Amino acid sequence: MKRMMLALAVFALIAGSAYAQGTIKIGGIWTLADITGKQGSAAAQLAVDEINAAGGVLGKKLDLIVVDDEGKADKAAAAVEKLATVDKVDVFMGGMGSGAELGKIPAFKKYGKVVMSTGAAGSVTVEKALGPSPESDFYFHIHPWDYNQGASYAEGWDAIQKQYPNIKIRKIFLAYEEGAFGKSSWDSTKVLFGSDMRYTIDGASFKSALFGGGDYTSVLEAAKAFKPDLFLWAGYDADALPLLEQSKAMKFSPGIYLGAPPGWPIGFGSSKLSRNVMLYGMWSPAMNDNNPASAKFYKNYVAKYKEEPATYFAPLSYSAVYILADGIKAAGTTETAPLIKALEATKYASPLGETITFKPSNIIKHQGITRQKILQWQGGFQEVIWPFEAATAEPVYPFPAWK
Amino acid sequence: MVVKRRTAIIAAMSIAATIALILWKPTVLIYGLQAAGLYAAVAIPMGLVLGIVHIVNLSHGEFMMVAAYAAYSACKALGMDPLLAIIPTAIVTAIFGWVIFQLTIRRALKGPELNQLILTFGLAIAFTQTINLIFTSQTYKIPLDYVSASMDIGDITFGTWSFVFVAVAIVYTYGLQFFLTKTTTGKAALAVGQNPRGAAIVGIDVYRTYGLVFALAMALVGAMGALFLTKSAIFPGVGTPFTMKSFCLIAMAGVGNIPGILGASVLLGVAENFLRAFRPTRDWAEIVFFVLIIVVIVGRSLKGRKS
Repeated sequence: MKRMMLALAVFALIAGSAYAQGTIKIGGIWTLADITGKQGSAAAQLAVDEINAAGGVLGKKLDLIVVDDEGKADKAAAAVEKLATVDKVDVFMGGMGSGAELGKIPAFKKYGKVVMSTGAAGSVTVEKALGPSPESDFYFHIHPWDYNQGASYAEGWDAIQKQYPNIKIRKIFLAYEEGAFGKSSWDSTKVLFGSDMRYTIDGASFKSALFGGGDYTSVLEAAKAFKPDLFLWAGYDADALPLLEQSKAMKFSPGIYLGAPPGWPIGFGSSKLSRNVMLYGMWSPAMNDNNPASAKFYKNYVAKYKEEPATYFAPLSYSAVYILADGIKAAGTTETAPLIKALEATKYASPLGETITFKPSNIIKHQGITRQKILQWQGGFQEVIWPFEAATAEPVYPFPAWK
Repeated sequence: MVVKRRTAIIAAMSIAATIALILWKPTVLIYGLQAAGLYAAVAIPMGLVLGIVHIVNLSHGEFMMVAAYAAYSACKALGMDPLLAIIPTAIVTAIFGWVIFQLTIRRALKGPELNQLILTFGLAIAFTQTINLIFTSQTYKIPLDYVSASMDIGDITFGTWSFVFVAVAIVYTYGLQFFLTKTTTGKAALAVGQNPRGAAIVGIDVYRTYGLVFALAMALVGAMGALFLTKSAIFPGVGTPFTMKSFCLIAMAGVGNIPGILGASVLLGVAENFLRAFRPTRDWAEIVFFVLIIVVIVGRSLKGRKS
């Protein structure tokens, strides 16, 4: 009996202290194998630390609990279950690959907590699975959908060809990884660039190094035979260097060599192979000069982690935490309905160079950013080429032949 | 006589197919051979273990992954090239393999085969998760200039670095043949593999031989781990697909047939690249491996029933 009383007393003490301390728990799910997840989760933690240092939210500290989904739908679904039932988080955030995000959606719907999604561009899969309002109102999607990205790129390449008449694009080849991310890129590329017959499109899939692949010879052979003006690959950071090494070995140098991984390997800029490779993205350290929010994020990130943020998923995840914190402050609670209402009024001047607000997309009610940028690796740095109002450098064209 | 005739027919057909490929799609042969070299160089050490120690090591690919991480760590710490890390990595992996053998696999050798499978499967998971804890699941790649070496023949330009795997596979095949047939230790290992009880009666220390063969196989796969680092990005799951591929190549070649693994690898590598060379069949390349293994096993079963 005495033992039972003692155990109850200890339990009451622990529970009481936890209650008094008070934390708002954010469940973050990322693919930590990929640089987007590694740096995205690190940037989210940076934002949490900054907010806690400034007094927290509603008098409580934020607590970010990160789970690795390994890029797999089953692991991602299990991560949601674990965070909801074991850690009892108040809100969810994170995400990158559409395949993994698709696995989370049934569990997200089951628990109905607010989700601040930083990834998953696949509209055919993820947006369709979410469904229209009101069933998907808990889901705030900051990252653009694939059709937003595609429309942005089409607009960008048109503008670039108009501004620089020496750049001429007629034939586009897409090398895409065989998962959901690559396939949705291929589908949207065909629709956006191939539908009005202005461009000739071809493509082939490859198995990403991230999933046990890494041999790109056949896809490069197909691309070389097609003789594209623009070669685009949609894979992961693990593919970046081996793909360029094999392109060099096969002396494949199209007019524009463009990569669209969600993030680039750490130190990619210091490799000679990075020279004049173009990329799609939302952010670059080059933007620090004319964007104070970007400069503040960059400075604090480098000071904390002693490495440069190499992917736009870092400032995107950082922004997601601030948007959530501001929403919780305005709602005065983490309860879903008032928090959704508060988040709908978001106007956040992000490090990405634009003020994030939420508007309806093709299916869901809460879509954040819709525009992306075209950048180029020059002298080891990512320079913004388009939109011209945010440009930090002129494009180098054509992609030089391999020596 | 019948066997000789059949061998001659197979040889003639292989030569004809090779000439046809060279004339029609030379890159299929080039990249097929390069892929075959990699498959064979990883599978041969597994074949050695299966042929002599008689265990299916389901942690084979994970040993290569651990070796690749060891080589990566050495390269980063000492600023050395992965090629210089091959021999030290092979030695470290051999010692590691010997320790793992003595502590775990040896205990399961007399047990049912299912126990051995579960044990080595458990080792595979343990290795992957340990590396995941130490290095996280972030991918690593060392940029190297020489891996982009290329050659021009007529209109075609192709990378030449991956031929290093072909060279390694040939060295492994003939080196092991030499070891098993010309050296005292190798002959003892062959005897143990063929008849462990008989070998013990004539005074061969069976378990010592098993340990030695396992360590040798791990040294070979460890060397491949360092060499693999030159070509590919590494992450905790990088070795897993090689275990199943290696096992299937051994099944195709027949247990104990090391030169056969080389032949099966060429068949697999060329078939995969052949399918990838044509638009309608590009996405079928991953299936060819399963088709080949089913055809070989069914064919062998039918032949066995007939005889």
